Amino acid sequence: MKWVTWEYIVVDRMASTWLIRRFIDPQAEFIFIPAGQKPLPEGAEPFDIPGVKYSHHRGHCTFHSLLKEYKLKDPVLSRIAAIVDEADVVQKVAVEPAAPGLDLICRALRRTSSDDYEAVRRAQVLYDALYAELSADENPVP
Amino acid sequence: MADWLLLHYKLPSEPSAPRVYVWRKLKRLGAVLFQDAVWVLPQNPRTLEQFQWLAAEIREMGGETALWQAQLTLKDSREELVREFQAQSDLAYAEILEQLDRPDPDLEGLSRQYQQLSQKDYFPSRMGQRAREALLSKRGGLS
Repeated sequence: MKWVTWEYIVVDRMASTWLIRRFIDPQAEFIFIPAGQKPLPEGAEPFDIPGVKYSHHRGHCTFHSLLKEYKLKDPVLSRIAAIVDEADVVQKVAVEPAAPGLDLICRALRRTSSDDYEAVRRAQVLYDALYAELSADENPVP
Repeated sequence: MADWLLLHYKLPSEPSAPRVYVWRKLKRLGAVLFQDAVWVLPQNPRTLEQFQWLAAEIREMGGETALWQAQLTLKDSREELVREFQAQSDLAYAEILEQLDRPDPDLEGLSRQYQQLSQKDYFPSRMGQRAREALLSKRGGLS
């Protein structure tokens, strides 16, 4: 399936491309368009674009909306959603100390990537690692 | 790329919750309300994205909004605007410095406040540097 989003991906869109490839659509093909460009390309599912289904809703990030829509109940994914939420959406209450760090690292990764496709590949490494680390937190060795 | 982002919006007067929600979000982003007319942020990829999302949220809540990318044509108006941003941050940093002078200050809470502030301190002021140094000097330990 084809997925489309605005170019220059950072924390939420990086996390979302990773989630889509790993948990929703392993064959996912991504298309990046300039912010605000309309109409959206036909035959591609839009995400993290204002007003579409997989986007910010009720003060939550796109990653969070994808989890909800695809009914992914993995507690590690919920934890990543909480961190991305705080990194990407301006929140009053903050309980995830990793959030500002993740935001910074994602911006840094994008800045040093030659294009969004490279950013997607590098984000896979980052979020795979994050998932593994948080899984260890969820299932501590007795 | 234009230097500034301008956000203008109108929400129904009732219910009041969405109005309060938007206003708080603008304050948390550190936007400046210029001449009681338009909310301003310096443009970078992050502020652009945040304002785009806020505009989408305002529409979702039944409001009207427009978001512009803008450039100032007079040099002194840029300086005036930057001063407004700095004054806003200075006020909040001064509050931290004042708290630090009191006996037994809440260092954890104040450093969190400092971190949040520094994320929206777009034109770093000397007051911010002072607050940072004051916090670090209270950290104690051996140097």
